[in-house]
Amino acid sequence: MKKRGKWLALALVAALAVTTVGCGSGKKESKGEKGASEEIKDLVTYEVPQREMENVFVLNTEMAADLNVLCNTNEGFLETNPKGQLVAGIAKEWGTEDNGLTWTFKMRDDVKWVDQQGNEKADMVADDFVTALEWILNAHKNDAGNNTSMPISMIKGAKEYREYTKSLSADEALKLDKSKFLEMVGIETPDDYTVVYHCIAETPYFDTVAVCACLYPISQGFIDEVGVENVKSVGIDKLWYNGPYILTEFIQGNTKTLTKNESYWDKDCKLFDTVTIKLVEDVTVGYSLYDTGEIDTIDLAEANLRAIYEDENNQYHDYLTEKLPNKFSYQMKFNYAKKNEDGSDDTNWNTAIANEAFRQSIYYGLDLTKTYERANMINPLSCENTAYTMKGLVYFSDGTDYVDRVEELIELPESNGKKMRRLDKEKAEELKKQAIEELSAKGVKFPVEMDYYIPAGSQLALDSATVLQENFAECLGDDYIKLNIGTYVSSLTQEVIDPSLQSVVMNGWGADYGDVQNFLGQETYGEETAYYSMNYTNINDATDPELIATWKEFTDLVNKANAITGDLDERYEAYAQAEAYMLKHAMTIPYNLEISWQLSKINDYSVSHAIYGMQNAKYKNWETSVDAYTTEDYEKFAEEFNK
Amino acid sequence: MGENEKKDDLFRFVEYSAEKAERTGYSDYSYWKSVFQNFLKKKSAVVMAIVFFALVIFSFIALHIGKYDYAALKTNSAMAFQSPNGEYWFGTDNLGRDYWCQVWYAAQTSIKLALIVALGECVLGVIIGCIWGYIRSLDRILTEVYNIINNVPVIIYMTLIALLVGQSFTIMCISLIGFGWLTMARNVRNLVMMYRDREYNLASRCLGTPIWRVLVKNILPYLISIIILRLALSIPSTIALESTLSYLGLGLGIDTPSLGILLRNARNYFLEHPYLLIFPAVIVSLITVTFYLVGNAFSDAADPRNHV
Amino acid sequence: MFKYTIKRLLQSVVTVLIVVTIVFLLMRMLPTDYFFTEDQLMKFTPEQKEEQLQAAGLLDPMPKQLVRYYGQLLKFDFGESRRIQNGVDVVSVIGDKFTISMKLGCTALVISLFVGILIGIIQTLNKDRILDHVGTAYTIFVNAVPSLVSYSLVLAFGSKVLGLPSLYSTRNPSETSILPIVCLSLASIASYALWTRRYMVDELNKDYIKLARVKGTSSAGIMIKHVFKNAFVPLAQYVPASFLYTIGGSLLVERFFSVPGMGPLLTDAIVRYDVNVVQTLVVLYAVLGTLGVFLGDILMMLLDPRIKLTGKGGTR
Repeated sequence: MKKRGKWLALALVAALAVTTVGCGSGKKESKGEKGASEEIKDLVTYEVPQREMENVFVLNTEMAADLNVLCNTNEGFLETNPKGQLVAGIAKEWGTEDNGLTWTFKMRDDVKWVDQQGNEKADMVADDFVTALEWILNAHKNDAGNNTSMPISMIKGAKEYREYTKSLSADEALKLDKSKFLEMVGIETPDDYTVVYHCIAETPYFDTVAVCACLYPISQGFIDEVGVENVKSVGIDKLWYNGPYILTEFIQGNTKTLTKNESYWDKDCKLFDTVTIKLVEDVTVGYSLYDTGEIDTIDLAEANLRAIYEDENNQYHDYLTEKLPNKFSYQMKFNYAKKNEDGSDDTNWNTAIANEAFRQSIYYGLDLTKTYERANMINPLSCENTAYTMKGLVYFSDGTDYVDRVEELIELPESNGKKMRRLDKEKAEELKKQAIEELSAKGVKFPVEMDYYIPAGSQLALDSATVLQENFAECLGDDYIKLNIGTYVSSLTQEVIDPSLQSVVMNGWGADYGDVQNFLGQETYGEETAYYSMNYTNINDATDPELIATWKEFTDLVNKANAITGDLDERYEAYAQAEAYMLKHAMTIPYNLEISWQLSKINDYSVSHAIYGMQNAKYKNWETSVDAYTTEDYEKFAEEFNK
Repeated sequence: MGENEKKDDLFRFVEYSAEKAERTGYSDYSYWKSVFQNFLKKKSAVVMAIVFFALVIFSFIALHIGKYDYAALKTNSAMAFQSPNGEYWFGTDNLGRDYWCQVWYAAQTSIKLALIVALGECVLGVIIGCIWGYIRSLDRILTEVYNIINNVPVIIYMTLIALLVGQSFTIMCISLIGFGWLTMARNVRNLVMMYRDREYNLASRCLGTPIWRVLVKNILPYLISIIILRLALSIPSTIALESTLSYLGLGLGIDTPSLGILLRNARNYFLEHPYLLIFPAVIVSLITVTFYLVGNAFSDAADPRNHV
Repeated sequence: MFKYTIKRLLQSVVTVLIVVTIVFLLMRMLPTDYFFTEDQLMKFTPEQKEEQLQAAGLLDPMPKQLVRYYGQLLKFDFGESRRIQNGVDVVSVIGDKFTISMKLGCTALVISLFVGILIGIIQTLNKDRILDHVGTAYTIFVNAVPSLVSYSLVLAFGSKVLGLPSLYSTRNPSETSILPIVCLSLASIASYALWTRRYMVDELNKDYIKLARVKGTSSAGIMIKHVFKNAFVPLAQYVPASFLYTIGGSLLVERFFSVPGMGPLLTDAIVRYDVNVVQTLVVLYAVLGTLGVFLGDILMMLLDPRIKLTGKGGTR
């Protein structure tokens, strides 16, 4: 057996040597003529099976896995650019004149709907937006209720219309025409190319909702063609398309192919002839596919990254490029009303976490560098998350990023490139002492047990959790906090969150729309709309009066900011104050940003990079190169981008 | 009347006694002695059996002589992917932890699991198989039960068990035994049906030998060879099934690493670091080959027809 | 014979029905929250959740749900997929995948039958000589190395050294199928070789062969006319079942090579709580399972006139 093993190892080494030699020579050639390098015509990219597409009808889904494809086949009013700002798309101009109570979108008149063969089916008109919103709000048409939450909370009459359709029988609701809808809901079409929305309250950020599926259009002609009851379940061959691509092939579990839409309105933009998205078991398999040239970009797993980085002679050594952060800002969210497995309250944890010094000792004391190294061994500190809101969400009128202002308010030291910015060992030591003193008096037993849950089959999650566990032990001491790793089989919500078993969850929020309220509003006290308070932190079930007072204060600050709708700078400043308060009291602790490394033939700095919306995977105006980009290339791109 | 009484005096029923039943036809033939004698003739199997026992014993020694204690392993990214050397005999894994103690600890877990499951399957399978084969009225019902359990995919059971009951070593053992007995029972049942109505068994029954004795003394010896073969084959298949289930996240809990889990992880690194795959793979292969050869040899040896 | 067939078929229908009912009940034992995605669970209010469950009929009493399900089964209406491909008819979801799995599986099976039996014959002809030992070593090696490992090796070797594409593509099925087929064949070649050799060696020791030898029949004639023919009978019993089972696909192989086949479908459907897909698959597997055994028995009877099928199910 052993002999066989050796033989195989030898064969593999020989194989690797052959490929290394082969590609090594190619590398030399490509370096010289980089400037003139060709662009890719047919892009091939990948996705892992957990993120396979489930729905093909854009209004019927909120899942990123679906929308990453469908944002190419369907288009709404606006688009987002690499800086994450809104730019004109189908809407030539848009705006509000009353602090966001009514919003007007003026459309282009040359947009067509086409079928899968690319035949023109209809012109796109204002009515298409009415048709779509009616479909979403009609409880019998859209019985799954996807995409309803934002319109209901923002658009006048939306909630009432949904209630009204609920009261109808299925038959009646399916047959409804738009007269009743137009009468009840705050949407109107003064002419064929203008849409006006009336919001419930002043909503200065309403236009950022236009890049979400809930404000996407569908054509009445399409509904008539397939029949209203079949809209949700038609295949890709019967869909109508108005985006830059047509979904010409969808083989579940294998391939999705997008083909350029010849009738697309934007004649000057850069599109690929085809984009093929292949399903790849995991990034390790993906890496060998990149190696053989079967895909054009690959995220590097820890082992591959290490192998390439540490070996100067590796053919990809000069081609490592750092990705931009994705749109999620990860936080450590504590559970303030944790339960034991038998359903009783976990008093020890609940008392401990309610103590501010205890939380702050984690904030200042926990060095996460090693955790960051797992994803980004080259540049771990770039993964440090400093605030609750994601960088790049909103900017002050002078161009300052909102998050920079928050950092200023919490007096975060500048990075010295050696340790995490917020780390302060001495302060943490003091706080720890204080917490032990205060909590011992309340009868808390040390070490405080902290339960953290990961998916059962994932070795990656287990490895990260093990490293985190050791981070806790090293930085704060085994005798103070002990991280326990638990597992769930299939659903975190079902198995852990609902019975409230977790002490902490590391969770990233991806914004629905471009306003700080969308971030901070999830953490407020006593409000049903606050997603995290209602589900993860259970703050509303907490009993500690001091803790509740802190939360109420924070909630007041957020609501004060919400009320400011006229002057956006003032609004953002008020939010920044609220967020600084939150961070200073360590109500949640910023965890990380996801910044990993890749080998790629795509220039990420040319790709839409919005914190909100669904268009970051829209393959429009992407810069690519047949020869992979080098680390140097990317440094140049970054420099230009940040100018 | 008088004549009848006389008859009773002449013939009386004797209380059944196992000892007396054995007394006739004594010879110095001992079944198990012959089994071992025959088994020892197969040199390759004997060698493999010794290798296997050495492996089991060594897995305990290995954990003691290793430089690192499994329970106290610390991650250290600077030491990740060290090839085998004087300090780390089997190298280190992706987190810089000693691989030696992980491999041996996992080997113990896997062997323990496989042995427990094999024994459990065997006991349950033989008992049910005997009843199934011997009692005609139960045949239809048990056949139906067999078909039903056999036709619901194992993945469904395992997912449901993991979701509703949880994941641990004990649960894994019980659920694997829960499906594993089927094959054994089916094999045993077929053989029992074959031997049930042989003349000597009919004779035994007529003489009032209890059913259990007919089964244990007259039929079981014929079954031993097939039981041992199944037992031997079930061990590698348990290890294989466990690794597939671990791959799907339905395997053992995270605190019990098994060879299957190590293999699954090594898959991601083996191109750059083949030793991560080779060590656990060699152990799994060794176990499989051992049981394959030993099982075959032992089952030949256990067949009473080969004893004459 | 006819009566027997009917009886067996009826029995199979009952078995399938019971299996389906059990799976139906098992799936309903899961908490209803699995009906929703993680996102939906968070965003929906309890009323919204209840509304949807009501609409899906999951809140009805169990007997009512069962009766409705039987009704649908009678009409061969298997419903729509919810999560695998939202809104698409389950039959067409499975239909696409089924052909791909079957094509791969059958090719692999034909290859393994051919190669496996050939190896088995060569081994028997060279019994206890070097070729026999090489063959045995192969069978042991393939069985000993865990499939997870051997597939990884095939994948690495095939794509790195031979430059074969490692992702299945429907546009280029012939070339991209090579590696999956190799993986699928590895183990079954070994097992066919093993059994062929075993049965042929058994047959060689029989008295009638010895007699034939004594009478001076040529060695090749004996081999082909008697030994192989008789040795093939017990082997044949499993062939139809094996062909049928190829429909099920292979979980590991199809995952490794991204083959859009049936293999990973069941787990995916369970994890995503796509009840209709799970139930349909179980019906399919149960039908295949019973049918496979049945066809095997019939084939064996046709090949060997001595075997008579009785109503008792026989001792196999």
